[in-house]
Amino acid sequence: MTAPLRERHLVDHTVDGPVRRRRSPRSRLLAVGAAVALVLVAVRLVTPALGPGLLPNTLQDFVTLTISVIVESMPFVLLGIVLSIVVQVWLPQAFFTSWLPKRPLPRRAVISFLGMFLPVCECGNVPLARGLVLKGFTVSESMTFLLAAPILNPITIITTHQAFGWDGGILVARLVGGFVIANLIGWLFSKHPDPESLLTSSFAAECAVADDHGHGVSRLSQSVDLFRREMSTMMPALFIGAAIAGAIQTAVPRSVLVTLGSNPVWSVLAMMLLAFVISICSNVDAFFVLPFASTFMPGGIAAFLVFGPIIDVKMLALLRTTYRPRVLAQLTLVVALTSAAIGLVVNFLA
Amino acid sequence: MLLTLVVGVATLWLAATGQLILYIHPRYVVFTVIMIAIGMVLSIGVLALAPARGDDDHDHDHPGGHDHDDDPAAALRPRRPRRGRAAARGIAVGAGALVTIVMAVALVALPPATLTSATAGQRDVNSSTAALDGTSVDDATGASDETYASFSILDWAGLLRQTTDLSFYQGKTADLVGFVVPSGDDPDVFYVSRFIITCCAVDAQPVGVPVYLPDWREQVDADDWIDVSGGFQANQSGATDDPIALVPDELEKVGQPRDPYLY
Repeated sequence: MTAPLRERHLVDHTVDGPVRRRRSPRSRLLAVGAAVALVLVAVRLVTPALGPGLLPNTLQDFVTLTISVIVESMPFVLLGIVLSIVVQVWLPQAFFTSWLPKRPLPRRAVISFLGMFLPVCECGNVPLARGLVLKGFTVSESMTFLLAAPILNPITIITTHQAFGWDGGILVARLVGGFVIANLIGWLFSKHPDPESLLTSSFAAECAVADDHGHGVSRLSQSVDLFRREMSTMMPALFIGAAIAGAIQTAVPRSVLVTLGSNPVWSVLAMMLLAFVISICSNVDAFFVLPFASTFMPGGIAAFLVFGPIIDVKMLALLRTTYRPRVLAQLTLVVALTSAAIGLVVNFLA
Repeated sequence: MLLTLVVGVATLWLAATGQLILYIHPRYVVFTVIMIAIGMVLSIGVLALAPARGDDDHDHDHPGGHDHDDDPAAALRPRRPRRGRAAARGIAVGAGALVTIVMAVALVALPPATLTSATAGQRDVNSSTAALDGTSVDDATGASDETYASFSILDWAGLLRQTTDLSFYQGKTADLVGFVVPSGDDPDVFYVSRFIITCCAVDAQPVGVPVYLPDWREQVDADDWIDVSGGFQANQSGATDDPIALVPDELEKVGQPRDPYLY
């Protein structure tokens, strides 16, 4: 955030902020919320009587897969939002910025390792990265964090090691690849003349609203307000991403991908496509891909493990809340090319 | 917020009735429940502490929710003309409402279900090899009859993949519970199958043991859960890739088990 942007918002919001706040009918909202929750519970308790077989198989599987992606990601998204709230509201302004190196390159390199202390998988990282931008990170630094943290974090490293050990250089390729890509992207976007224009206008507005707080509003209600805003942004994105991922998986036969597995080039591309489609969290994707290890060459697996945490259907939907489509297209292209290169190198060495 | 309540209520209900494992691996259940509970508490906090913008509740569950026309940021973006933003916002609100309703129906109204044979067929039964190496022939050779009786579909599918030596299967009977997946090539063979899960239903891999039973469609349908027992013999049907198949002595329909997946 640049300073002029902040000041302008501050002025604006001190004018209309309190006026709006006065209108909020608290008790009625709470009652409505309770009523909605009760209706939901009631419906849920009644409907099992309908029994299975209501939908045709394919449609049923689409629903099951979509719900599965949502149920799997929700806790991580919530964890990310909670951490984001902690970073934005409860930590002092300079907590992250004070001890980071000042020069851009080493600064981004250190930021790549922030994930070691904030072990969230990629879906939780989106709200967290948004929080870091609000806290003074530049756009390119937020991208470095966003891309590196899902891979360079203790849970991912442990699960990947459990799944593969040191076989075929997969773990090393994943860690080094994640680090290189994150810093490459950070460097590329730091060259952008107008970083603000990379963000969606709604997120730029978020930055404005966040700056308005801290003047007489309690931290608790700040936190709650932040939670509401993050949830209402993230949830639809998550749902749409999950539905698309579910639909593709119901429609495209898995065998199409698997038959490509033994070719050095195709195995890399097929696994990247699979990673893109399946939208699984980086904390657990190593276990997912393990069954494919015997069919696919190690480079394909490495490409899956590098590409998947950064770009997939669900992530693009989530990232869309923050970055403009053109940025996402460039991001996808660069990450895809780099992951493919890493995969091919691993295949060549293996 | 409405979406959070929908997901929260649905997830907690699934957890309470033990059906959360239809969607995710049991090891994530505790983590999921804790995080959802925190989310529910925060959602209630949102309602109780009333948002800073009182008019900003239900219709704002969508990505464009904060694109207010009076947003100062709008003024900073000359490239986006104001004209048409109202329309765009209307579409966004409609889409948000639609997503909310669809998800509410899918999560709350529809009965929870396992994956079906449609996905099993689409993902190729037994195409995942690593999972099938868990039980090795060497380990199994000296095992007792009770051990064989407790072998799961996963164990048997693994053994069948590793050895096609008929003498190994001599005198051994399997007792398996799984659902029926038709074999693509052969009308006389079906697979008694289960999904194995490493993380969640998204990564479910079907495994199955071929069962040779001419005219099986007269007894069972695809997706029926069955309890089948019998010995292994050379597959008399030439049309499939499986050299050995289970020939059932007994076969009966059963209900779906509470934990339908294998891990």
